[in-house]
Amino acid sequence: MELDKSLVSGSMAMLVLKLLEDGDKYGYQMIEELRRRSDDTFHLKAGTLYPLLHGLEEKGLVTAYEGEAAAGKPRRYYHLTKQGRGALREKEAAWNDYARAVGRVLEGGACLA
Amino acid sequence: MPETIQAYIEAVEAQIRWRRARSVVSLELRRHLEDQRDAFAAEGLGDAEHLAVEEMGDPVSVGTELDRLHRPRPQWGLLGLTIALACAGAFLRVWLTRNEGLDAVSPVRAALALVLGTAALLGAYFLDFTSLARHARGIYAGALAAGVLSWWLLPNVNRTAYCTRYIILLYPVVYALWLYSCRGSTWGHFILAVAGGIPLAVICLLAPFTFGLLILLVCGLVSLLCAIRMGWFGPGRWKFAGTALALAAGMPALFFGLGYGEGFIVRLRLALHPELDPLGRGYWGWMTKMCLRDAPFIRRDGHSSFGIGGGGRVYGGFFGDAKGYVEFSVDQEFLPLRLLMGWGWLAYLLLMAAIAALLVWLLVRCLRQRQQLGRLTALAVVLSLGLETLFSAALNLGFTIFSSHLPLVVGNLHTVIDMALIGLALSVFRGGGILRDEPAGEVRRPVFPWRVKISIISTKET
Repeated sequence: MELDKSLVSGSMAMLVLKLLEDGDKYGYQMIEELRRRSDDTFHLKAGTLYPLLHGLEEKGLVTAYEGEAAAGKPRRYYHLTKQGRGALREKEAAWNDYARAVGRVLEGGACLA
Repeated sequence: MPETIQAYIEAVEAQIRWRRARSVVSLELRRHLEDQRDAFAAEGLGDAEHLAVEEMGDPVSVGTELDRLHRPRPQWGLLGLTIALACAGAFLRVWLTRNEGLDAVSPVRAALALVLGTAALLGAYFLDFTSLARHARGIYAGALAAGVLSWWLLPNVNRTAYCTRYIILLYPVVYALWLYSCRGSTWGHFILAVAGGIPLAVICLLAPFTFGLLILLVCGLVSLLCAIRMGWFGPGRWKFAGTALALAAGMPALFFGLGYGEGFIVRLRLALHPELDPLGRGYWGWMTKMCLRDAPFIRRDGHSSFGIGGGGRVYGGFFGDAKGYVEFSVDQEFLPLRLLMGWGWLAYLLLMAAIAALLVWLLVRCLRQRQQLGRLTALAVVLSLGLETLFSAALNLGFTIFSSHLPLVVGNLHTVIDMALIGLALSVFRGGGILRDEPAGEVRRPVFPWRVKISIISTKET
């Protein structure tokens, strides 16, 4: 089934922050990791990812530094800041509330006693 | 849609207006495209490069979005405040010395200093400060040579090389650049970094410029500790920090060992109690305190029992109850005191508050800098200006421990140098956001490279 892109775009920042929660990564790694974790559901284009990452960096949610990837190749790694962790918690909570509300509506709404 | 990686990068770069951002952004995209191309090739797909380019998305929309994110950060507020303070300083220099004959500051010279200072401010502001880092050791050698030659060749007044003193005001920034050029993971790099401060300190002693030496030592120590904390000399930060602090603690011992200690203690004692020798070495401090005793909050009339009159003479009952004119031809460094005497405390406090606001604003911006070299350069500027302000305030309140000028207010040439230094700090704030540092602890470079490699500058990677 083709995924509606509008469903993904609003939550992409949260997904990217989540990917960085368990370790620093560079852009290509993030795209591969997202694809793997979502069972090939999310095919994030690099052209979307990098402006998003740079925007998050501008807001102080991530920081970037030059590091060495496999075979000594230099890559620009992204690191989740303390502020970024806080923002991730907030986005996760908002997303869970939203998902629960949508779920309740789809299941016929909450029953009033 | 471009067919090759190079064409794609060029299409993205064409959308980014800020030239300095292009190299940083395109380097990251190029690396990503190469990873993707290699992955497709490993899967056995034909024309892997073209497929990698297709995976990226539309280069125009990517470039447009990156252009929106990456813009220089103009520092109009700080520029405006600096120029406004320099204008106020030029006015005060001329107005408050207008009746002093040959000692009066020429309006033409003050205006020329203002024009030159503004040019220096804007020139440094639009400068790519990373170009200084690329030639850090050349700049260090040039600053050293300028110090030695000015001391040796230019005329000295009262055994003091005044031209050298102006060059010394730049040394804290020169030392910060030197530290950046000495990054590395060995003790050799650290020792070289520390040793680089010695020739600069020797120039301060030759000039002689004790206050310049104090600024260099304080700024140098803070810069060195910051560099250690940022991992410029690799891991083992506590060992390096301990060594730096031990060396700093050893400086007073050396100072006293060379026989300067006793004179300094007497100087300190007289700075705190000038009344102990009011007609000798405590004269300036005592006169200043006497002047301040009579200063009103707002001076409403042109007369006072104490005041600086024509020819730099001060009127007042300084010597017991006897009143009369006393020669008190104050130096340029006492310009804030003239302001206080002429217009009252309010004018003085407003001036000091404006300079303090500028310094605090610069410091806040400096601490927000992510790029290490930029942060250290700006910190060296803010610290040296802050020390000058602090000691100038002390001097003008009667604590004459060092003779210091008030930034942007005292001295024509001083103002030009202050504005150039502030321009350099603003250049960091304007363009430093796009720059990235190498990872700490992974810097492996020879101890004596002449040109310093900055990874962030490279555009075309093969």
